Amino acid sequence: MKKIFLEGAIPSEFIADSIAKHQSKHSIGAHNIFLGQVRADEVDGKKVSAIEFTAYEEMALEKAHEIREAAFEKFDLTCLHIYHSLGNVAVGGVCIFVFVSAPRRKQVYEATEWLVNQVKTEVPIFGKEIFENEESQWKVNS
Amino acid sequence: MIQVKYFGMIAEATSKEGEEVSVSGKPFSEVLSEISSKYNLGDLSYQVAVNKKLVSNPADLQLNEGDEIAFLPPFSGG
Repeated sequence: MKKIFLEGAIPSEFIADSIAKHQSKHSIGAHNIFLGQVRADEVDGKKVSAIEFTAYEEMALEKAHEIREAAFEKFDLTCLHIYHSLGNVAVGGVCIFVFVSAPRRKQVYEATEWLVNQVKTEVPIFGKEIFENEESQWKVNS
Repeated sequence: MIQVKYFGMIAEATSKEGEEVSVSGKPFSEVLSEISSKYNLGDLSYQVAVNKKLVSNPADLQLNEGDEIAFLPPFSGG
């Protein structure tokens, strides 16, 4: 089972390395990347300063595996990677990184959108928004 | 015994991440309602997974020794 979780924000270097690793795969002609970044939402005058992520990790890995298999069935892809943060990610930090590669462009746009939606709705990850005043509320995906 | 795991706002409500529960032949629906009333989960929104698979109709299931059940609030990754 491929790992999907990283502790804390996903570093830019990690993303750059992932791109570099694919340059030896010469059947690829198109990459598409989605990065989700923690936003400083304001709720009742309180500002979000971070999101604390937890997950049912064993089930999340199984789910991510099923999503991968389904994506390869559905789209003509060379490879795909899903990474998500666990623990605390401050505003401005990247908490989800989806990376899709294919011979041609059209497939990667559709696949990326589909994958991000699947991760948000099917993978048991729970985000808690931490406010600047240290209060918190459970994040709800829209 | 079965393993019960709690996540997100459910873990907050139960003040624990998990516990072992004796089921001794009880139907699954009874085990669920016992846990729900013990921790006052009635107003919270959650789904239940058995051995890492979501179950849509718990009433039809019989638990076995060693099963792992999980109380999962709405997913909010991404």
